[in-house]
Amino acid sequence: MPGSSETPSRAERWLAGVARAGRTVLQHSGEIAILLRDIVAALVGLRVSLRSILRQMYVMGVQSLPIVILTAVLAGIVTSQQGGYQFTGAIPLYVLGSIVAESVVLEMGPVLTAIVLVGRVGARITAELGTMKVSEQIDAFYSVGRDPVSILAAPRVVAGIIVVPILVAVANLVGILAGMVSAQLTVGLGPNSFLYGARLYWQSWDLFYSLTKALVFGFTIPVVAIHMGLRTEGGAEGVGKTTTQAVMFMTLAVLIMDALFPPLLLD
Amino acid sequence: MQTRPVIRYRAVHKAFDLPVLEGIDLDIFPGEMFGLFGASGAGKSVLLKTTIGLIVPDRGDVEVDGRSVFFGDRRDVRKIRDKVGYVFQHAALFDSLNVFENVETGLPLRRLRAMDGRRVARLVWEALERVLLDPREVMTKLPAELSGGMKKRVGIARAIVGGPDILLWDEPTTGLDPVNTAGVQRQIRRLSRELDVTSVIVTHDIEGGLEMCNRVAMLEGGRLRFLGSPTAFRASGDPIVRAFVDRTAAEAAVDLVATT
Repeated sequence: MPGSSETPSRAERWLAGVARAGRTVLQHSGEIAILLRDIVAALVGLRVSLRSILRQMYVMGVQSLPIVILTAVLAGIVTSQQGGYQFTGAIPLYVLGSIVAESVVLEMGPVLTAIVLVGRVGARITAELGTMKVSEQIDAFYSVGRDPVSILAAPRVVAGIIVVPILVAVANLVGILAGMVSAQLTVGLGPNSFLYGARLYWQSWDLFYSLTKALVFGFTIPVVAIHMGLRTEGGAEGVGKTTTQAVMFMTLAVLIMDALFPPLLLD
Repeated sequence: MQTRPVIRYRAVHKAFDLPVLEGIDLDIFPGEMFGLFGASGAGKSVLLKTTIGLIVPDRGDVEVDGRSVFFGDRRDVRKIRDKVGYVFQHAALFDSLNVFENVETGLPLRRLRAMDGRRVARLVWEALERVLLDPREVMTKLPAELSGGMKKRVGIARAIVGGPDILLWDEPTTGLDPVNTAGVQRQIRRLSRELDVTSVIVTHDIEGGLEMCNRVAMLEGGRLRFLGSPTAFRASGDPIVRAFVDRTAAEAAVDLVATT
């Protein structure tokens, strides 16, 4: 037939690529929806062990505390130094207290904590469940009549929802204190002036905003990590590949949601 | 008179990227030791996994003891899994649990909740003894501390502790040396006899499978290429079956030479 060709045209290849991507997104969305349904069913049916939740809270929360605190300290110091450098001689220096407090609470605290947890907790969950998947341990749970969602998934999601807001609250506090100390050491702004500036523009809503972000991140990170872990295939190589993909998806999810928060919750 | 099949595969179809099973119809009868042969990727393990719903076929159904795995009540699947013990290819022991806890998970949950700790301990102890492991020695060990052969035995103990009616064996001798292979084959025969169970054994080890089983089938190209007795399998004139038997015999000989 005139005009017909064995090899697809560029437009056809592009359309096929779009269709494949669309199918992949729909597939992931459907699988996550089923996972969430099963997690809710396990929680409503009281099939989730409190001991497992506490254990996951310890792993996600207590064991992550040092790195979260270190990150918050550095974030507070950097914000304080940057603000001090930009505003010395331009505006009253006590405004630095507000800049540090608002930056840490609204942005740095929740987002940096989430990024740290993506690497420390999310990657670990994906690698752990991925290894269980490829070594047939997930199938073994089903074969002995146990529900892996109740045993493995639900405790991690509940722990994430509880623990991440607590970690973010700690990160906020530590970040502001580190910024205050740094302001004293670098631009000579005393704690009283720093706190005066911080209080001047402070609104309680900011803390609510910060902890709401933390709650959403605390839910999203384990859900994406579990979802990716449970769809791992292909042995050790597959575990490595899926863990890398999961870290990428979790980081993107955190940053995209972070961009969506201001228009939704800030005037 | 023919008895009612205990497992019925009905027009089971499954494709991943390519078709794996293309309409498998097969009946397994009570008390049988049934061997399922085929090349790698022939769909043997996929078919075995459909038996307890670990893999969902694209079309068709499986019935176990008259209950549909895919079109029945969800509770039916639980009852089916309570009746069936599954021995995984690489044991699939839970890494974070010790041997006792791993074997304990093989007890159906409702029964486990109704039992006191001493009874549970006794059942786990008996299961470990049945697979010729010393409970005192292995009970508190983690899977990472066990050899490959011991892991397989713990996996078998987990499959039998609940007193199943059916045992499904997925490549039970893969990765074992000839001595351990012979030991596991002896255990399969002994346990099937002592526990009076129906066994379905997926294996690459044709010679071992032919010795153990009283009926065998061979999967090829997603279909059943052969179904019959071990004697008929050995005598088959089908060139594909012949090529498979001869190649497997040759590989077994090479293995034997390599280990002696």
